Amino acid sequence: MSETKGAPFSGSIMVVGGGISGLTTALEAAEVGYEVFIVEKNPYLGGRVAQLKQYFPKLCPPTCGLEINFKRIKDNPRIKFFTLADVESVEGAAGSYNVTVKLNPRYVNDNCTCCNKCAEACQAEVPNEFNFGMDKRKGAYLPHEMSYPAKYVISPQIIGTEDARRCKEACPYDAVDLEMEAKTIELNVGSIVWTTGWEPYDAARIDNLGYGRYPNIVTNMMFERLAADNGPTGGQILRPSDNKAPENVAFVQCAGSRDENHLPYCSYICCMASLKHTTYIREQYPDAKVTIFYIDMRTPGNRYEKFYDKIKEDQNVTFIKGKVAAVEEAEDGRVTLVAEDAVSGEKLHQTFDMVVLATGMQPTAATTKLPADLVVTEDGFMLNDYEKGGMFAAGCANRPADVMMSNQNATGMALKAIQTMVKR
Amino acid sequence: MADKYLVQPDVEFIKEIRGLGGDSLKKCFQCATCSVACPISPDTKPFPRKEMIAASWGLKDKLISSPDIWLCHNCGDCSTMCPRGAKPADVMSALRMRAIKEYATPKALAEAVNDPKKLPLLAAVPAIVFIVIGMVLQVFGINWLDFTPELDAHGQIAHAQFFSTWLVDLIFVPLSIWAVVIFALGLKRFIGDIHKNALAEGKTNKDKIEIKGFLNAIVKVVPNILKHRKFSECGENNDRATPHMMVLFAFIALAFVTGFFFFVLYGLGIHGPYSQFHPVKILANIAGIALVIGGALLFKQRLDKKDEMSTYKDWYLLWLVLGLGVTGMLSELTRLAGAAYLTYFIYFIHLMLVFHLIAFLPFSKLAHLVYRTVAMAYNEYSEREVKKA
Repeated sequence: MSETKGAPFSGSIMVVGGGISGLTTALEAAEVGYEVFIVEKNPYLGGRVAQLKQYFPKLCPPTCGLEINFKRIKDNPRIKFFTLADVESVEGAAGSYNVTVKLNPRYVNDNCTCCNKCAEACQAEVPNEFNFGMDKRKGAYLPHEMSYPAKYVISPQIIGTEDARRCKEACPYDAVDLEMEAKTIELNVGSIVWTTGWEPYDAARIDNLGYGRYPNIVTNMMFERLAADNGPTGGQILRPSDNKAPENVAFVQCAGSRDENHLPYCSYICCMASLKHTTYIREQYPDAKVTIFYIDMRTPGNRYEKFYDKIKEDQNVTFIKGKVAAVEEAEDGRVTLVAEDAVSGEKLHQTFDMVVLATGMQPTAATTKLPADLVVTEDGFMLNDYEKGGMFAAGCANRPADVMMSNQNATGMALKAIQTMVKR
Repeated sequence: MADKYLVQPDVEFIKEIRGLGGDSLKKCFQCATCSVACPISPDTKPFPRKEMIAASWGLKDKLISSPDIWLCHNCGDCSTMCPRGAKPADVMSALRMRAIKEYATPKALAEAVNDPKKLPLLAAVPAIVFIVIGMVLQVFGINWLDFTPELDAHGQIAHAQFFSTWLVDLIFVPLSIWAVVIFALGLKRFIGDIHKNALAEGKTNKDKIEIKGFLNAIVKVVPNILKHRKFSECGENNDRATPHMMVLFAFIALAFVTGFFFFVLYGLGIHGPYSQFHPVKILANIAGIALVIGGALLFKQRLDKKDEMSTYKDWYLLWLVLGLGVTGMLSELTRLAGAAYLTYFIYFIHLMLVFHLIAFLPFSKLAHLVYRTVAMAYNEYSEREVKKA
């Protein structure tokens, strides 16, 4: 369908969450002529994908996929997006929802040129949530190099302090506005697509795996940041306790997933993530050894299976069928993992420089009550009720998925959202 | 281990295990968390992961003859950490019960002891035995059973006036021999089987069982059993160790007391009731109280533990332990209180329960006393745990 003709306009669509699923939903709907609002809680779009070093299926850096989407958004007048925004309430029914959205202040206006002067002036440092607290950032900051919108943010923590004043004074463009206040807007939309995504499961809750007790046990998302060029180590994979290059690294699969005591479902992507992380290590350290402890390697589809086969050929990579169920401290910051090798039937105690827990994904709705009449499973995944229509879930809000599946799903839900309004 | 193993699933066996409390076994997806979670599982061929898959496939021979099901102390740590709710601890417990049935003869009695529907029949057996033998003897003019007992020569209530000690021992002495014989028959097969299993699974470096070495292993293991050394390594069910110890020591003490007064009566010809201040009597009273308290605690702990499967085999034994303790203490108290007929009645029930204890010992869960001891001694003898260290 061409841009010029457009589709019959009968209302607008709201997309809650500006990660890869949300961007896809928004673009698919907008590019066939619908007005779309994206509501994103972070100060930037791109969600979890923005935090990765590379993503499947083609191991592209996130810049690759996100940049083109940002450009499409920029060029499309039908898409409006709000960052630092929360949906507060949803009223109405399919075809007409009144949504209250709270816009939190950024304290930086459109004059910002990302000159970094405010960050230089700011003295306070806070843990950097983009890097899972592995480093610190200034109270005035750009969330990451590729942030879109490309505007700095002043942390609410420094508002009212000397630092905030210093930032304002340092800005040569009058972009820092400390008087900015939260405001609430009302939007009327015909349909809502929830692409609220996921959180890494809190590894500290998995008692027996030692996360939080031993610094060299990290989660897979932390590892992604450690390997990413814009991460805390500039892309050098170093173990946190002493910034030493690890010589042997273990991956603990199903850390939380497929476990009734934590996440009862398979998180779908962690096996592939660990295989991908293996390539990060093996490219950076030609002599490093990698051991992957698993219950079952799940590599769905031909492309993933081939990827797995390729890694299996690597002499430095060992696969052990047996879930790690205990960890012990070893000397020199190393960690000993205990598992039964279910093939040989022997209990193993193996020591590693660094351990990566392949933690699963937990849908946002599992920990946050969303302010709308949604059907959410016990695990926090939103179910789609096509009979009722009006509101849909796409991407990891609906089920654990990779980027490819999320995008397929998002495209489908964009169509469902459009159908809701056409039916009216 | 043989390179090829032809899997011959025994579906009936799977059903049996599920019926004995291992209902959850099919939930297992072989992640092997349990073998690591277990605080007492060895590094060489650890349990219970391999038992879970064997149970799931119905590999009866591999399981019934495995010493490993006996090394398990039902700590429950594996069940707590199991990501699937497959409850390996309950499955192991069911396997043990099934093994007890396997090694006990006659089979029909083993089935009956584990069938709640047969309980009234089994409960009636001791009553019938006592009354019939007592009445038959009366026909011959031997009054060892007196339904209108009088006070004894010292003017005290004596249970012996009701059931003569002659009658009691006429029944219990052969009964004890029967229990020993059945255990001996079972153990003969059991020891041979566990050794064969250990050889097949590479759990031992000994070719044969040498009597001397094996006896040495028993001597080494028994003090650890008495101290509950393994049991106290348990995480989840650790609080059961103390009550279990109370019950075990109470039984040992009471067995000693019985033997002592058996000697006093038949050797020295002194009749009871004996003085409350006699040291052995004091021991008996302490043991009786320990039995009641230990039994009650174990009972409560099982009731409280909702995520553990407790079946008839467990309750039967707990009721028996508690019943023995309570009726034993009450028959003494009512005797001292002078409630003649009440005390005779309670004593009668107590005797019935003692009969249960001895007669059905090789068939009930209580047989773990023998099988676990032997399996632990074998494990010690096999040098499985020193092999790797």
